[in-house]
Amino acid sequence: MTMNAERIKQLAEAYGADKRHWPQAERAAAEGFVAANAVQAERLMFDARQTDAALDASPRPMVSNALRDAVIASAMAAGLSPKKARMVWDRLILWAGAGWAVAACAGVIAGANLTLHMTSDARADAVLYQAQMIAVDDTEVLG
Amino acid sequence: MFLREQAGLSAIADPDEDLVRRVAQGEPAAIQAMVARKLPRMLALAQRMLGDASEAEDVAQEAMLRAWKQAPKWRPGKAKFDTWLHRVALNLCYDRLRRRREVPTETPPDRPDEGPAPDAGLLSAELGLRVDAALKRLPDRQREAIVLCHYQELTNIEAADLMSVSVEALESLLSRGRRALRQSLADLASANPATRRAGAERG
Repeated sequence: MTMNAERIKQLAEAYGADKRHWPQAERAAAEGFVAANAVQAERLMFDARQTDAALDASPRPMVSNALRDAVIASAMAAGLSPKKARMVWDRLILWAGAGWAVAACAGVIAGANLTLHMTSDARADAVLYQAQMIAVDDTEVLG
Repeated sequence: MFLREQAGLSAIADPDEDLVRRVAQGEPAAIQAMVARKLPRMLALAQRMLGDASEAEDVAQEAMLRAWKQAPKWRPGKAKFDTWLHRVALNLCYDRLRRRREVPTETPPDRPDEGPAPDAGLLSAELGLRVDAALKRLPDRQREAIVLCHYQELTNIEAADLMSVSVEALESLLSRGRRALRQSLADLASANPATRRAGAERG
């Protein structure tokens, strides 16, 4: 948007004479215009300055101690407390511990199964060998 | 931040981001800092929107309660926490303003200000009361625009976004609101010799 006297007037009428309230995108150009045309700009911003002064006369409400305390208490009521944070952390540790225990049990069971599986061939050979032994006469063995 | 950029999300720099995160962890110092930073702003917003101290306290308290509940769920980068909190408080104010309209009160609307007589020596406290009364008489949307831009010092883009209007519409609301205020308080300016002189010089 072109910066000229008309736009300065519009800005002052909308945002007041305090340039900190002016749109950031136009602030630099507006400040340049005001610096270069100080008397004209001051005239354009006169009403806005008066309105700013009136608005600033409105007192800023004070926060009472009672309200502040009630709001802090409401944070606790809403569940925000270090204790809660600790509980979350403790629960996390508990779950992690339980996870390790489950993993360990699973390892033991898997290990046992694996051992059974690996020794099954050897046991089958032994059974077959013993079956063959039946065919041998006892006298051959015992003499 | 890098992840946000990778995800194609426009990250918004939020000065409250770290504080919100600490509040979510239940840090007492962060909760107190949040109260110190936001409660006066929410109270001022509600007070000027509603013109009633007691109702303003209720709104500010409710807005802060919602902030506590929101903090653990807050996802930074999408919006400023302060803007979100303003939206919550404004919605609460509008709920109350609507309820007021539904329940007719004895307060006559839109009457000329019958405050103290024009006096160059008007005490600032009295002037403040007159300004508050004039603000209260403005249409809600004009008052909201002035409160957000002048008192809450939000940018025009933030204020327009909160009010769901274009920046041009916001400027129009601001101009009309400020003009109405000036007219409402015109007797003060005419009673002030310095103002009269300056006005005369202005031509």
